[in-house]
Amino acid sequence: MIEFINVTKHYPGRRHVLRELNLQLGKGEMALLTGPSGAGKSTLLKLLTRLEAVSHGTLRVAGVDLATLRRRHIPAYRRRVGVVFQDHKLLMDRTVYANVALTLQVAGMSARQLDHRVRAALDKVGLGEHWREFPETLSGGEQQRVGIARAIVHTPEILLADEPTGNLDPELSSEILDMFRDFYRHGTTVLVATHDQGQVDRMGVRTLHLAHGQLQEKA
Amino acid sequence: MSLHIRLQALGNARDTLLRQPIATALTIIALAVVFALPVGLFTALSNLQQLLASWHNQAQISLYLHDDASPQAVAQLRRQLQQSPGVVAVRFVDKNRALADFQRYAGMTAAIQTLGENPLPASLIVELNPLAQSPSSLEAQVQQWSHEPIVRSAQSDLKWVARLQAIVALGTRAVYILAILLALGAVLVMGNTIRLHIEQRRDEIEISSLVGATKSFIRRPFLYQGLIQGILAGFLAWLIVAIAFAILQGPVNHLASLYGTSFPLHALTVGEGFLLVLISAALGWLGSLVAVGRHLNNTVS
Ligand SMILES: Nc1ncnc2c1ncn2[C@@H]1O[C@H](COP(=O)(O)OP(=O)(O)OP(=O)(O)O)[C@@H](O)[C@H]1O
Ligand SMILES: [Mg+2]
Repeated sequence: MIEFINVTKHYPGRRHVLRELNLQLGKGEMALLTGPSGAGKSTLLKLLTRLEAVSHGTLRVAGVDLATLRRRHIPAYRRRVGVVFQDHKLLMDRTVYANVALTLQVAGMSARQLDHRVRAALDKVGLGEHWREFPETLSGGEQQRVGIARAIVHTPEILLADEPTGNLDPELSSEILDMFRDFYRHGTTVLVATHDQGQVDRMGVRTLHLAHGQLQEKA
Repeated sequence: MSLHIRLQALGNARDTLLRQPIATALTIIALAVVFALPVGLFTALSNLQQLLASWHNQAQISLYLHDDASPQAVAQLRRQLQQSPGVVAVRFVDKNRALADFQRYAGMTAAIQTLGENPLPASLIVELNPLAQSPSSLEAQVQQWSHEPIVRSAQSDLKWVARLQAIVALGTRAVYILAILLALGAVLVMGNTIRLHIEQRRDEIEISSLVGATKSFIRRPFLYQGLIQGILAGFLAWLIVAIAFAILQGPVNHLASLYGTSFPLHALTVGEGFLLVLISAALGWLGSLVAVGRHLNNTVS
C-alpha cells in the first residue's frame, strides 16, 4: 500500500532529512513511526500527504506514484487518505458536525448524502452527542477525536497521524491510539508517528525507528 | 458539476458576508459610489446631448433661392432636404415674407420702399440637429446644397456647431477616462476586500486543501462573494443615480421655466440599469478573481 524506494528528501539549502529510505507497508498493516525530534517523522508523513515532494527516489501509495503526481491530481489523491494532526487543526468557528462534514463536502457530497456518514463517524469516536457544539467547548482529547472523525469519515484506505497524542495525558493517549488500532483491525492501513515510548511498548504493533535519515525495524 | 456544490459555495459566500455585516455594507456602499459617479455623469451627458439636439433652431442653414426658381423645383429640393440626415425641419420663406421679416427686424421700411421692387430672395431654412453629424460632413453637405441649380447662395454658422461638438466630445472622453479609472478602482476595492477574507480564512483554506479540496472548490466562495457584492453595489448605484436625478429635477424645471421651456430629466432606463448591474457584477467577480489568483497560491499546494 505504501512503498518508499530509495527516497531522499532535503529541504532547499538544508542537509538531507531522509536519505535512500526504504519502507514497505502492506494493505491493512499498521506501523508506529518513532525517532528523536528532528529525525524527519513529520517530513516522512508530509511526503505521504503530498505537502512535500520527494527529492529523489520512488514513492508509491495505493497505486499512485507521488514523485510524478501532477499538481492538479493532488486533491483527488488526498481524498483517499485520512490525516490526523497533533494540533488537530479544527475550525474553531464551525460546529463539530461541520468540521467533520468538510471532508465530504470537498469531495462534492451534498448535505443529505453526507449526513449519516458524519453521524456514524462521530459515533465511532464517541462524540455522537456533541455534534452541535463548537470545538472550543470540548476537552483536548475530545478535540482530537473530532480530528480523527474528520480523518475517517470518508473511510480512507490509508490513515496517517503525526503525533496525535502529543498534547494528551497518558490515559487519553492510550484511548486515542487504541482507536487507531481499531481502524487497523477493520482493514485500514495506519501509520502513526509518536515519540511516546510507553505507548509504543504497550501497543505491540510494528514499529519503525527513524534516525539519520534511515528507517530501522524494531522488534 | 452538480448544482449543490455551487449552492453550497453560494451559501458559504453569503454566510461570510453576513458574518461581517458592517464591513460588507461598507464595501458595497464604496463600490456603489464608485459606480454611481461615472454612471451619473454619463446620464447627465446624455441629457445634455438631448437638450442640445433640441436646440435645432439655433443650428440653421439658409439657402437663398434664385427668383426664377419654379415652385415645383423648390418643393422638390425641400423634400430632398427633409430626407437628409440630421435635418429636423425645412421651412420655406417666400419673397414677401422675407421682406416683411426684414422690415419688422430692421425697421427700414422707408429705404426698402424707395427701391420699388422687393430685392430679397426667397429661401429655404434648414434646421439641423447640431450633434447629428461631424462639422466637416456638415460643411460638405452645405457645399453640395449650395450647388443646387435653384440655390443662389448658402449661409450658415457652422463654427458654433463645431465648438459645441468639440465640447461634447471632450466631455464624453473625460467621462470615459473617469469611468475606466473608477472601474479599476472598483476592481482594487473588491480585490482588497477579498484578500482580507482570504487572510481571515487561511486556516479553513489550508484544512480544506489538506482534506482534498480542489483549487476551484476553494476559489468558488470567494468569487461568489465578489459577484454578490458587485450585484448589490450595482443596484445601489442605480438607486443613487435615480435619487440624484429626482433631486435635480426640481431645479432643472425651474431653470427651464426661466428659459420658457420645459426639460424632463431622463434617469437610467431599465435596460441601462441592468447593464450597470451586469457591469458591476463583472467587476466584482474580476476583483475577487485577481485577489484569489494572487493570494490563494501561497496557501494551496
Ligand atoms: N519546511 C521546512 N523547511 C526547511 N527545513 C525543514 C522544514 N521542515 C522540517 N525541516 C527540517 O527537517 C528536519 C526534520 O524535521 P521534522 O519536522 O520532519 O522532524 P520530526 O521527526 O517530525 O521532529 P519532531 O519529533 O520534533 O516533530 C529538521 O531538521 C527540520 O528543521
Ligand atoms: Mg514532527
